[in-house]
Amino acid sequence: MPVTYRLAKDFNVAANIIRAQVAPNQIGKLVVELSGDIDQLDAAIEWMRSLHITVSQSVAEIAINQDICVDCGLCTGVCPTEALTLDPETYRLSFTRSRCIVCEQCIPTCPVEAISINL
Amino acid sequence: MRTIAEINEKIARQSAVVLTVEELKARVAEVGVSQAAKEVDVITTGTFEPMESSGAIINLGHTDPPIKIRRCWLDGVPAYSGFGAVDLYLGATQAVEAIDGEEVREKGGGHVISDLIAGLPIQLRALGQVTDCYPRATFETTITRDTINQFYLFNPRNLYQNFIVGVNGGDRPLHTYLGPLQPRLANAVYSNPGALSPLLNDPNLQLIGIGTRIFLGGGIGYVAWEGTQHFPLQKRLPNDTPIGPAATLALIGDAKQMDARWVRGCYFKSYGPSLMIGVGVPLPVINEEVVARCAVQDNDLVAPIVDFSIPRRVRPTFGLVSYAQLKSGRIAIEGKPVRVAPLASLFLSRQVTIALKQWIEAGKFTLAKPVAPIPKERSFLPQDIWGAQVVLE
Repeated sequence: MPVTYRLAKDFNVAANIIRAQVAPNQIGKLVVELSGDIDQLDAAIEWMRSLHITVSQSVAEIAINQDICVDCGLCTGVCPTEALTLDPETYRLSFTRSRCIVCEQCIPTCPVEAISINL
Repeated sequence: MRTIAEINEKIARQSAVVLTVEELKARVAEVGVSQAAKEVDVITTGTFEPMESSGAIINLGHTDPPIKIRRCWLDGVPAYSGFGAVDLYLGATQAVEAIDGEEVREKGGGHVISDLIAGLPIQLRALGQVTDCYPRATFETTITRDTINQFYLFNPRNLYQNFIVGVNGGDRPLHTYLGPLQPRLANAVYSNPGALSPLLNDPNLQLIGIGTRIFLGGGIGYVAWEGTQHFPLQKRLPNDTPIGPAATLALIGDAKQMDARWVRGCYFKSYGPSLMIGVGVPLPVINEEVVARCAVQDNDLVAPIVDFSIPRRVRPTFGLVSYAQLKSGRIAIEGKPVRVAPLASLFLSRQVTIALKQWIEAGKFTLAKPVAPIPKERSFLPQDIWGAQVVLE
């Protein structure tokens, strides 16, 4: 089903696809940033749920395991929004969740598998 | 000024004055080289970074009936066995061999080494050559670091004196030993901790030599030899620090004493496994020159920016950049700002210098005078094809 088309046509909601994992005739996953009128957004989410599409809000998605992280900072170079940075004094990794767009580029970059996503 | 023996006497009395190399640099800025040299006995340097030319020697102990191992896997990672019957060498970058139908795991020798150090059990599978001395053909067991005779790291190339900065001037993403390099110079990666780094604070290896006692992976280790690709003749700045990869050291140390916090298996996507190791080197303040060398700052150290999009032995470069610029997180390449990330953990490098300082202050670690110097001259030979070559007429 052309979900993003219907979102735009029926609800005037723009769907910016951040990640898509959808194979033909199979269940898939889309990470989308939705923008539009607040009521329209609620209606759009309601409509998707009525079609048995599981909708979860993308909060606290990127998780960094502090016990595994070695603070090398390699992830900071691929983070497009600078949600991941190194503290200039302590050189510890700092993660500003509000800046994260869940592009997930940090996940395969991490050499010690300290970063994961809970989607 | 003071000898290593005198410093060791002070360490034994727990009265030695030990500063981390960062504390020393700050002290020199305050009181100058001469005064700092009067005050300080030992300076601790350190790094924590992937060092792929690393591995572990293991002696299993003999089975009954005995086996002469010719092929061997530790948690699926092949180990070299072409020497003593139950001697193994497990290389850090050796990738796991997936058994048919099994998903390929992003794991290798580095992970097995850190798991063994952590005390975890490791599955061992071996095939032997049947001989009159060694009749057994196969052997399977579970080992831990406490059930094997020897388990020591012998790393042919660690502690690179400086390295490079990797970028990608091409138009497709590259997966490298420096991690992902995004096309069109979208990011840069450097891997040396700069002013914290042991060999950048002793640029001419006047203090560090064969037999120098060091902090290796949380245990005590030694400088064993010059490292592979040791290239002391690299071009140098007036402060004698090299402008690119230069001297290297081979290190050795008992892995049974090590701590998995300082020895970490790692994996670079679409490149392969490696091993991150914390290494600390103490520098004895035997004269003022030691302090003057250790006062070097990130501003005074440079590395070349190398374009990985040309996969040749000699890759094009975009000139030199200082470690102060690198640590700022942003450099300029041909006028364009580029985000730069370290690969060495600057945080853990600093923690190594602090841990080694605490050992020395507590009298647990004394300094060893080198028994022989590291060679100052070595050519850096390329490997080209000699003999018959195809000639296009």
